[in-house]
Amino acid sequence: MKIKSLLKRNFNHQPRLNYPDYKSSILRAPVRKKISLPSTISEICGPVFNCDIIGKYDNDLTLNFSKNKSSPLGHKILIYGTVKDQFSNPIEGALLEIWQANASGKYLHPNDNTLAPIDPNFAGCGRYITKPNGSYEFTTIQPGPYPYPNRGIEWRPMHIHFSIFGRSFGQRLITQMYFEGDPLIKLCPMVNSIPDEKAISSLISTLDTSRSSSKNILAYKFDIILRGINQTYFENKKEGL
Amino acid sequence: MEPFKKKYEETPFQTAGPYLHIGCMPNYLGINGIYKNDIGIMPFPNKISEELITITGSVFDGNEEALDDVFLETWQSDTNGKYFENHGFARFIPNKITKKYSLITIKPGSVENFDGIKQSPHILLSISSRGLNMSLNTRIYFEDDDLTGDPLLSTVKNVRNDVSSLIAKKIGNNTYSFDIFLQGDKETIFLDI
Repeated sequence: MKIKSLLKRNFNHQPRLNYPDYKSSILRAPVRKKISLPSTISEICGPVFNCDIIGKYDNDLTLNFSKNKSSPLGHKILIYGTVKDQFSNPIEGALLEIWQANASGKYLHPNDNTLAPIDPNFAGCGRYITKPNGSYEFTTIQPGPYPYPNRGIEWRPMHIHFSIFGRSFGQRLITQMYFEGDPLIKLCPMVNSIPDEKAISSLISTLDTSRSSSKNILAYKFDIILRGINQTYFENKKEGL
Repeated sequence: MEPFKKKYEETPFQTAGPYLHIGCMPNYLGINGIYKNDIGIMPFPNKISEELITITGSVFDGNEEALDDVFLETWQSDTNGKYFENHGFARFIPNKITKKYSLITIKPGSVENFDGIKQSPHILLSISSRGLNMSLNTRIYFEDDDLTGDPLLSTVKNVRNDVSSLIAKKIGNNTYSFDIFLQGDKETIFLDI
Protein backbone atom coordinates (compact mmCIF):
# COMPACT_ATOMS: atom_id res chain seq x y z
CA MET A 1 0.00 0.00 0.00
CA LYS A 2 1.42 3.39 -1.00
CA ILE A 3 0.43 6.43 1.07
CA LYS A 4 1.24 9.95 -0.06
CA SER A 5 1.24 12.86 2.34
CA LEU A 6 2.12 16.54 2.15
CA LEU A 7 4.86 17.74 4.47
CA LYS A 8 3.32 19.62 7.38
CA ARG A 9 3.31 23.37 6.90
CA ASN A 10 5.84 25.33 8.98
CA PHE A 11 3.75 28.28 10.16
CA ASN A 12 6.82 30.04 11.60
CA HIS A 13 7.85 30.53 7.98
CA GLN A 14 4.42 31.83 6.91
CA PRO A 15 2.68 35.18 7.50
CA ARG A 16 0.45 35.67 10.54
CA LEU A 17 -3.22 35.82 9.57
CA ASN A 18 -3.99 38.12 12.48
CA TYR A 19 -1.70 41.05 11.85
CA PRO A 20 -3.42 44.32 12.85
CA ASP A 21 -0.68 46.51 11.25
CA TYR A 22 -2.30 45.32 8.02
CA LYS A 23 -5.71 46.78 8.69
CA SER A 24 -7.72 44.69 6.22
CA SER A 25 -6.75 41.57 8.18
CA ILE A 26 -8.58 42.74 11.33
CA LEU A 27 -12.10 41.76 10.22
CA ARG A 28 -11.10 38.94 7.90
CA ALA A 29 -8.49 36.77 9.62
CA PRO A 30 -10.08 33.79 11.40
CA VAL A 31 -9.49 33.84 15.16
CA ARG A 32 -9.71 30.13 15.95
CA LYS A 33 -6.84 27.75 15.34
CA LYS A 34 -6.93 25.75 12.12
CA ILE A 35 -7.46 22.04 12.55
CA SER A 36 -4.47 20.08 11.36
CA LEU A 37 -5.26 16.93 9.41
CA PRO A 38 -3.30 14.29 7.54
CA SER A 39 -3.49 14.60 3.75
CA THR A 40 -5.95 12.48 1.86
CA ILE A 41 -6.06 11.66 -1.84
CA SER A 42 -8.22 14.78 -2.32
CA GLU A 43 -5.41 17.16 -1.35
CA ILE A 44 -2.78 15.27 -3.37
CA CYS A 45 -4.16 14.36 -6.78
CA GLY A 46 -4.39 17.53 -8.87
CA PRO A 47 -5.54 19.75 -10.46
CA VAL A 48 -2.95 19.80 -13.23
CA PHE A 49 -3.20 22.14 -16.23
CA ASN A 50 -2.48 21.37 -19.85
CA CYS A 51 0.18 23.26 -21.77
CA ASP A 52 -2.34 23.79 -24.58
CA ILE A 53 -4.03 26.59 -22.60
CA ILE A 54 -0.91 28.73 -22.93
CA GLY A 55 -0.75 31.20 -25.83
CA LYS A 56 2.42 32.39 -27.54
CA TYR A 57 2.63 35.74 -25.71
CA ASP A 58 1.13 34.72 -22.37
CA ASN A 59 4.50 35.12 -20.65
CA ASP A 60 5.49 38.36 -22.41
CA LEU A 61 3.59 41.20 -20.74
CA THR A 62 5.34 43.76 -22.95
CA LEU A 63 3.63 42.24 -26.00
CA ASN A 64 0.40 40.55 -24.88
CA PHE A 65 -1.62 43.78 -24.63
CA SER A 66 0.32 46.11 -26.93
CA LYS A 67 -1.58 48.00 -29.61
CA ASN A 68 -0.04 48.46 -33.06
CA LYS A 69 3.26 47.07 -31.76
CA SER A 70 3.63 49.96 -29.28
CA SER A 71 5.60 49.16 -26.15
CA PRO A 72 4.34 49.80 -22.63
CA LEU A 73 6.13 52.54 -20.69
CA GLY A 74 8.85 51.65 -18.22
CA HIS A 75 11.97 49.56 -18.37
CA LYS A 76 11.90 45.98 -19.47
CA ILE A 77 12.69 43.21 -17.00
CA LEU A 78 13.09 39.45 -17.18
CA ILE A 79 11.78 37.45 -14.21
CA TYR A 80 13.00 33.89 -14.16
CA GLY A 81 13.61 30.98 -11.83
CA THR A 82 12.55 27.46 -11.01
CA VAL A 83 9.65 25.84 -9.18
CA LYS A 84 10.84 23.01 -6.94
CA ASP A 85 9.43 21.07 -4.03
CA GLN A 86 10.89 20.97 -0.52
CA PHE A 87 13.07 18.00 -1.46
CA SER A 88 14.58 20.04 -4.31
CA ASN A 89 12.78 18.08 -7.03
CA PRO A 90 11.89 20.33 -9.99
CA ILE A 91 8.14 20.54 -10.61
CA GLU A 92 7.22 20.15 -14.26
CA GLY A 93 3.86 21.43 -15.42
CA ALA A 94 3.32 23.92 -12.60
CA LEU A 95 0.98 26.74 -13.62
CA LEU A 96 2.19 30.23 -12.74
CA GLU A 97 -0.15 33.18 -13.11
CA ILE A 98 1.15 36.68 -12.41
CA TRP A 99 -0.40 40.14 -12.13
CA GLN A 100 1.16 43.51 -11.46
CA ALA A 101 0.83 47.30 -11.62
CA ASN A 102 2.20 49.22 -14.60
CA ALA A 103 5.32 51.41 -14.50
CA SER A 104 3.31 54.20 -12.80
CA GLY A 105 2.03 51.90 -10.08
CA LYS A 106 -1.48 51.59 -11.53
CA TYR A 107 -3.49 48.38 -11.95
CA LEU A 108 -5.82 47.92 -14.89
CA HIS A 109 -8.68 47.25 -12.48
CA PRO A 110 -11.93 49.12 -11.72
CA ASN A 111 -11.17 49.12 -7.97
CA ASP A 112 -7.82 50.90 -8.36
CA ASN A 113 -8.69 54.53 -7.48
CA THR A 114 -5.15 55.92 -7.42
CA LEU A 115 -4.40 58.92 -9.64
CA ALA A 116 -1.62 57.31 -11.64
CA PRO A 117 -2.33 56.83 -15.37
CA ILE A 118 -3.21 53.52 -16.99
CA ASP A 119 -0.99 52.36 -19.84
CA PRO A 120 -3.00 51.43 -22.95
CA ASN A 121 -0.32 48.90 -23.91
CA PHE A 122 -0.09 47.10 -20.60
CA ALA A 123 -2.62 44.81 -18.88
CA GLY A 124 -0.27 43.33 -16.29
CA CYS A 125 -1.29 39.69 -16.58
CA GLY A 126 0.80 36.71 -17.63
CA ARG A 127 0.99 32.96 -17.21
CA TYR A 128 3.35 30.07 -17.85
CA ILE A 129 3.60 26.31 -17.37
CA THR A 130 7.00 25.13 -16.12
CA LYS A 131 9.39 23.05 -18.23
CA PRO A 132 10.60 19.55 -17.18
CA ASN A 133 13.42 21.18 -15.17
CA GLY A 134 10.90 23.36 -13.32
CA SER A 135 12.03 26.56 -15.04
CA TYR A 136 9.87 29.54 -15.94
CA GLU A 137 10.37 33.05 -17.30
CA PHE A 138 8.38 36.22 -17.85
CA THR A 139 9.25 39.33 -19.81
CA THR A 140 7.54 42.38 -18.37
CA ILE A 141 8.20 45.95 -17.23
CA GLN A 142 9.29 47.11 -13.80
CA PRO A 143 6.10 47.68 -11.75
CA GLY A 144 5.95 51.00 -9.89
CA PRO A 145 5.35 51.37 -6.15
CA TYR A 146 1.97 52.87 -5.21
CA PRO A 147 0.13 54.44 -2.27
CA TYR A 148 -2.77 52.70 -0.51
CA PRO A 149 -4.83 53.45 2.59
CA ASN A 150 -3.75 51.49 5.67
CA ARG A 151 -2.49 53.37 8.75
CA GLY A 152 -2.95 56.60 6.83
CA ILE A 153 -1.49 56.43 3.36
CA GLU A 154 1.31 53.90 2.99
CA TRP A 155 3.31 52.77 -0.03
CA ARG A 156 3.55 49.24 -1.32
CA PRO A 157 7.04 48.18 -2.41
CA MET A 158 7.40 47.25 -6.08
CA HIS A 159 6.04 43.74 -6.45
CA ILE A 160 4.59 41.11 -8.75
CA HIS A 161 1.80 38.79 -7.56
CA PHE A 162 2.27 35.06 -8.20
CA SER A 163 -0.37 32.34 -8.10
CA ILE A 164 1.10 28.84 -8.39
CA PHE A 165 -0.37 25.37 -8.82
CA GLY A 166 2.02 22.46 -8.47
CA ARG A 167 0.55 18.99 -8.92
CA SER A 168 -1.91 19.04 -6.03
CA PHE A 169 -4.46 21.29 -4.32
CA GLY A 170 -2.47 21.10 -1.07
CA GLN A 171 0.58 22.62 -2.81
CA ARG A 172 -1.38 25.71 -3.88
CA LEU A 173 0.53 28.94 -3.22
CA ILE A 174 -0.33 32.62 -3.68
CA THR A 175 2.45 35.09 -2.95
CA GLN A 176 4.25 38.26 -4.02
CA MET A 177 7.75 38.75 -5.36
CA TYR A 178 9.74 41.84 -4.35
CA PHE A 179 12.86 43.48 -5.82
CA GLU A 180 16.31 43.48 -4.25
CA GLY A 181 17.24 46.84 -2.74
CA ASP A 182 13.74 48.35 -2.53
CA PRO A 183 13.67 50.46 0.68
CA LEU A 184 9.88 50.10 0.94
CA ILE A 185 10.09 46.33 1.63
CA LYS A 186 10.98 46.68 5.29
CA LEU A 187 8.20 49.24 5.88
CA CYS A 188 5.46 47.02 4.43
CA PRO A 189 3.07 45.44 6.97
CA MET A 190 2.11 42.67 4.52
CA VAL A 191 5.78 41.69 4.29
CA ASN A 192 6.28 42.08 8.03
CA SER A 193 3.37 39.76 8.80
CA ILE A 194 6.02 37.07 8.15
CA PRO A 195 7.90 36.67 11.45
CA ASP A 196 11.04 35.09 9.99
CA GLU A 197 13.72 37.24 8.30
CA LYS A 198 14.99 34.39 6.16
CA ALA A 199 11.45 33.66 4.97
CA ILE A 200 11.03 37.32 4.00
CA SER A 201 14.30 37.29 2.06
CA SER A 202 13.07 34.28 0.06
CA LEU A 203 10.42 36.59 -1.46
CA ILE A 204 12.98 39.12 -2.68
CA SER A 205 14.22 38.53 -6.21
CA THR A 206 17.88 39.10 -6.88
CA LEU A 207 19.40 41.08 -9.72
CA ASP A 208 21.22 38.85 -12.16
CA THR A 209 23.71 40.83 -14.22
CA SER A 210 24.75 37.79 -16.28
CA ARG A 211 21.33 37.63 -17.95
CA SER A 212 20.85 41.39 -18.02
CA SER A 213 23.47 42.28 -20.62
CA SER A 214 21.65 41.55 -23.86
CA LYS A 215 18.38 42.92 -25.30
CA ASN A 216 18.26 45.96 -22.99
CA ILE A 217 16.68 44.05 -20.17
CA LEU A 218 17.31 43.79 -16.44
CA ALA A 219 17.05 40.22 -15.13
CA TYR A 220 15.79 39.18 -11.68
CA LYS A 221 15.85 35.65 -10.33
CA PHE A 222 13.02 34.34 -8.17
CA ASP A 223 12.89 30.66 -7.16
CA ILE A 224 9.73 29.14 -5.73
CA ILE A 225 9.43 26.20 -3.34
CA LEU A 226 6.16 24.29 -3.05
CA ARG A 227 5.33 21.74 -0.36
CA GLY A 228 6.96 18.34 -0.64
CA ILE A 229 4.96 15.12 -0.92
CA ASN A 230 6.20 12.06 0.95
CA GLN A 231 5.50 8.55 -0.24
CA THR A 232 5.55 5.74 2.26
CA TYR A 233 4.90 2.08 1.68
CA PHE A 234 3.16 -0.18 4.16
CA GLU A 235 2.87 -3.95 4.15
CA ASN A 236 -0.77 -4.98 4.17
CA LYS A 237 -0.84 -7.02 7.38
CA LYS A 238 -3.31 -9.89 7.52
CA GLU A 239 -5.54 -10.23 10.55
CA GLY A 240 -4.25 -12.65 13.22
CA LEU A 241 -0.65 -12.90 12.00
CA MET B 1 11.07 3.14 2.44
CA GLU B 2 12.31 5.98 4.59
CA PRO B 3 10.75 9.38 3.91
CA PHE B 4 13.00 11.85 2.15
CA LYS B 5 14.64 14.61 4.16
CA LYS B 6 13.27 18.12 3.76
CA LYS B 7 15.81 20.46 2.18
CA TYR B 8 13.92 23.72 1.86
CA GLU B 9 11.14 25.66 3.54
CA GLU B 10 8.02 26.33 1.51
CA THR B 11 7.91 29.82 -0.05
CA PRO B 12 5.78 32.05 2.23
CA PHE B 13 2.32 33.21 1.21
CA GLN B 14 1.41 36.86 0.73
CA THR B 15 -2.09 38.26 0.38
CA ALA B 16 -3.73 37.90 -3.03
CA GLY B 17 -4.80 41.53 -2.66
CA PRO B 18 -7.75 43.27 -4.31
CA TYR B 19 -6.60 42.96 -7.93
CA LEU B 20 -6.10 39.21 -8.37
CA HIS B 21 -8.79 39.12 -11.08
CA ILE B 22 -6.24 40.62 -13.47
CA GLY B 23 -4.07 37.53 -13.17
CA CYS B 24 -6.62 34.80 -12.48
CA MET B 25 -9.77 35.85 -14.38
CA PRO B 26 -8.86 38.62 -16.82
CA ASN B 27 -11.72 37.93 -19.25
CA TYR B 28 -14.24 38.33 -16.43
CA LEU B 29 -12.71 41.75 -15.77
CA GLY B 30 -12.98 42.75 -19.43
CA ILE B 31 -9.31 42.25 -20.21
CA ASN B 32 -10.00 40.27 -23.36
CA GLY B 33 -7.72 39.02 -26.08
CA ILE B 34 -4.86 37.75 -23.94
CA TYR B 35 -6.19 34.40 -22.69
CA LYS B 36 -8.78 32.60 -24.77
CA ASN B 37 -10.67 31.49 -21.66
CA ASP B 38 -10.41 32.07 -17.94
CA ILE B 39 -9.48 28.90 -16.04
CA GLY B 40 -12.08 27.03 -13.95
CA ILE B 41 -15.30 28.44 -15.43
CA MET B 42 -16.81 24.97 -15.76
CA PRO B 43 -15.36 22.19 -13.61
CA PHE B 44 -16.96 19.44 -15.74
CA PRO B 45 -17.61 20.95 -19.17
CA ASN B 46 -19.28 17.95 -20.77
CA LYS B 47 -22.06 17.39 -18.26
CA ILE B 48 -25.70 18.07 -19.10
CA SER B 49 -27.93 20.20 -16.91
CA GLU B 50 -29.84 17.29 -15.28
CA GLU B 51 -26.57 16.10 -13.75
CA LEU B 52 -25.65 19.48 -12.29
CA ILE B 53 -26.01 20.84 -8.79
CA THR B 54 -25.72 24.43 -7.60
CA ILE B 55 -23.99 25.43 -4.38
CA THR B 56 -24.64 29.01 -3.36
CA GLY B 57 -23.75 31.21 -0.41
CA SER B 58 -21.84 34.24 0.86
CA VAL B 59 -18.54 34.89 2.58
CA PHE B 60 -18.94 37.04 5.70
CA ASP B 61 -16.33 39.11 7.56
CA GLY B 62 -16.24 39.76 11.31
CA ASN B 63 -19.03 42.35 11.02
CA GLU B 64 -21.17 39.74 9.24
CA GLU B 65 -20.93 41.79 6.10
CA ALA B 66 -21.07 39.74 2.91
CA LEU B 67 -17.89 40.29 0.86
CA ASP B 68 -17.68 40.65 -2.90
CA ASP B 69 -13.90 40.84 -3.30
CA VAL B 70 -13.09 37.29 -2.20
CA PHE B 71 -11.84 34.63 -4.60
CA LEU B 72 -12.91 31.01 -4.28
CA GLU B 73 -11.43 27.86 -5.76
CA THR B 74 -12.77 24.31 -5.49
CA TRP B 75 -11.47 20.85 -6.33
CA GLN B 76 -13.50 17.67 -6.36
CA SER B 77 -13.98 14.15 -7.73
CA ASP B 78 -16.56 13.06 -10.27
CA THR B 79 -19.82 11.35 -9.23
CA ASN B 80 -18.01 8.01 -8.93
CA GLY B 81 -15.42 9.37 -6.51
CA LYS B 82 -12.63 9.41 -9.10
CA TYR B 83 -10.26 12.32 -9.52
CA PHE B 84 -9.25 13.48 -12.98
CA GLU B 85 -6.26 15.82 -13.26
CA ASN B 86 -7.96 18.04 -15.82
CA HIS B 87 -11.53 18.15 -14.51
CA GLY B 88 -13.09 19.12 -11.23
CA PHE B 89 -11.41 22.48 -10.62
CA ALA B 90 -13.50 25.66 -10.40
CA ARG B 91 -12.91 29.35 -9.74
CA PHE B 92 -15.60 31.86 -8.86
CA ILE B 93 -16.37 35.07 -6.99
CA PRO B 94 -19.53 36.48 -5.38
CA ASN B 95 -21.92 38.54 -7.47
CA LYS B 96 -21.32 42.30 -7.00
CA ILE B 97 -25.00 43.00 -6.24
CA THR B 98 -26.30 39.93 -4.41
CA LYS B 99 -22.93 39.19 -2.73
CA LYS B 100 -23.63 35.52 -3.35
CA TYR B 101 -21.42 33.08 -5.15
CA SER B 102 -22.77 30.19 -7.08
CA LEU B 103 -20.86 27.07 -8.07
CA ILE B 104 -22.44 24.95 -10.75
CA THR B 105 -20.89 21.50 -10.75
CA ILE B 106 -21.70 17.80 -10.38
CA LYS B 107 -22.21 16.03 -7.09
CA PRO B 108 -18.91 14.44 -6.04
CA GLY B 109 -18.88 10.76 -5.17
CA SER B 110 -17.59 8.93 -2.14
CA VAL B 111 -13.80 8.95 -2.40
CA GLU B 112 -11.57 6.06 -1.41
CA ASN B 113 -8.44 7.26 0.36
CA PHE B 114 -4.94 5.71 0.00
CA ASP B 115 -5.67 3.41 2.94
CA GLY B 116 -8.85 2.08 1.33
CA ILE B 117 -11.14 3.94 3.75
CA LYS B 118 -14.07 5.75 2.13
CA GLN B 119 -14.54 9.48 2.60
CA SER B 120 -18.04 10.92 2.30
CA PRO B 121 -18.61 13.04 -0.83
CA HIS B 122 -16.88 16.40 -0.41
CA ILE B 123 -15.43 19.39 -2.23
CA LEU B 124 -12.17 21.11 -1.24
CA LEU B 125 -12.56 24.89 -1.00
CA SER B 126 -9.88 27.56 -0.80
CA ILE B 127 -10.55 31.25 -0.07
CA SER B 128 -8.15 34.07 -0.96
CA SER B 129 -8.63 37.83 -0.67
CA ARG B 130 -7.39 41.20 0.38
CA GLY B 131 -6.88 41.04 4.15
CA LEU B 132 -6.01 37.33 4.15
CA ASN B 133 -2.26 36.91 4.40
CA MET B 134 -2.67 33.24 3.51
CA SER B 135 -5.37 31.40 1.61
CA LEU B 136 -7.82 29.51 3.85
CA ASN B 137 -8.85 25.91 3.29
CA THR B 138 -12.04 24.12 4.24
CA ARG B 139 -14.34 21.37 2.90
CA ILE B 140 -17.94 21.24 1.73
CA TYR B 141 -19.91 18.12 2.68
CA PHE B 142 -23.62 17.57 1.90
CA GLU B 143 -26.35 17.12 4.51
CA ASP B 144 -28.22 14.52 2.46
CA ASP B 145 -25.23 12.14 2.39
CA ASP B 146 -24.25 9.56 4.99
CA LEU B 147 -21.55 11.39 6.96
CA THR B 148 -21.19 8.98 9.86
CA GLY B 149 -18.09 7.15 8.67
CA ASP B 150 -16.11 10.07 7.29
CA PRO B 151 -12.62 10.06 8.88
CA LEU B 152 -12.06 13.83 8.54
CA LEU B 153 -15.39 14.77 10.13
CA SER B 154 -14.73 12.30 12.98
CA THR B 155 -11.32 13.86 13.65
CA VAL B 156 -12.74 17.37 13.56
CA LYS B 157 -15.56 16.34 15.94
CA ASN B 158 -12.92 15.38 18.50
CA VAL B 159 -11.70 18.98 18.52
CA ARG B 160 -14.91 20.92 17.88
CA ASN B 161 -18.36 19.63 18.76
CA ASP B 162 -20.15 21.42 15.99
CA VAL B 163 -19.07 20.51 12.46
CA SER B 164 -22.13 22.05 10.78
CA SER B 165 -20.03 24.82 9.18
CA LEU B 166 -18.55 22.10 6.92
CA ILE B 167 -21.94 20.81 5.72
CA ALA B 168 -23.97 22.33 2.89
CA LYS B 169 -27.73 22.48 3.46
CA LYS B 170 -30.16 21.30 0.82
CA ILE B 171 -32.43 24.21 -0.08
CA GLY B 172 -34.07 22.91 -3.24
CA ASN B 173 -33.91 20.45 -6.08
CA ASN B 174 -30.17 19.93 -6.73
CA THR B 175 -29.45 23.17 -4.85
CA TYR B 176 -27.39 23.59 -1.70
CA SER B 177 -26.47 26.52 0.51
CA PHE B 178 -23.01 26.95 2.02
CA ASP B 179 -22.06 30.19 3.79
CA ILE B 180 -18.56 30.93 5.02
CA PHE B 181 -17.87 33.00 8.14
CA LEU B 182 -14.30 34.28 8.40
CA GLN B 183 -14.78 35.35 12.05
CA GLY B 184 -17.28 35.56 14.90
CA ASP B 185 -19.54 33.08 16.72
CA LYS B 186 -20.26 31.25 13.48
CA GLU B 187 -16.62 31.16 12.34
CA THR B 188 -16.17 28.39 9.76
CA ILE B 189 -13.86 25.52 10.62
CA PHE B 190 -10.68 26.06 8.62
CA LEU B 191 -8.26 23.25 7.98
CA ASP B 192 -4.48 22.94 7.90
CA ILE B 193 -4.40 20.39 5.10
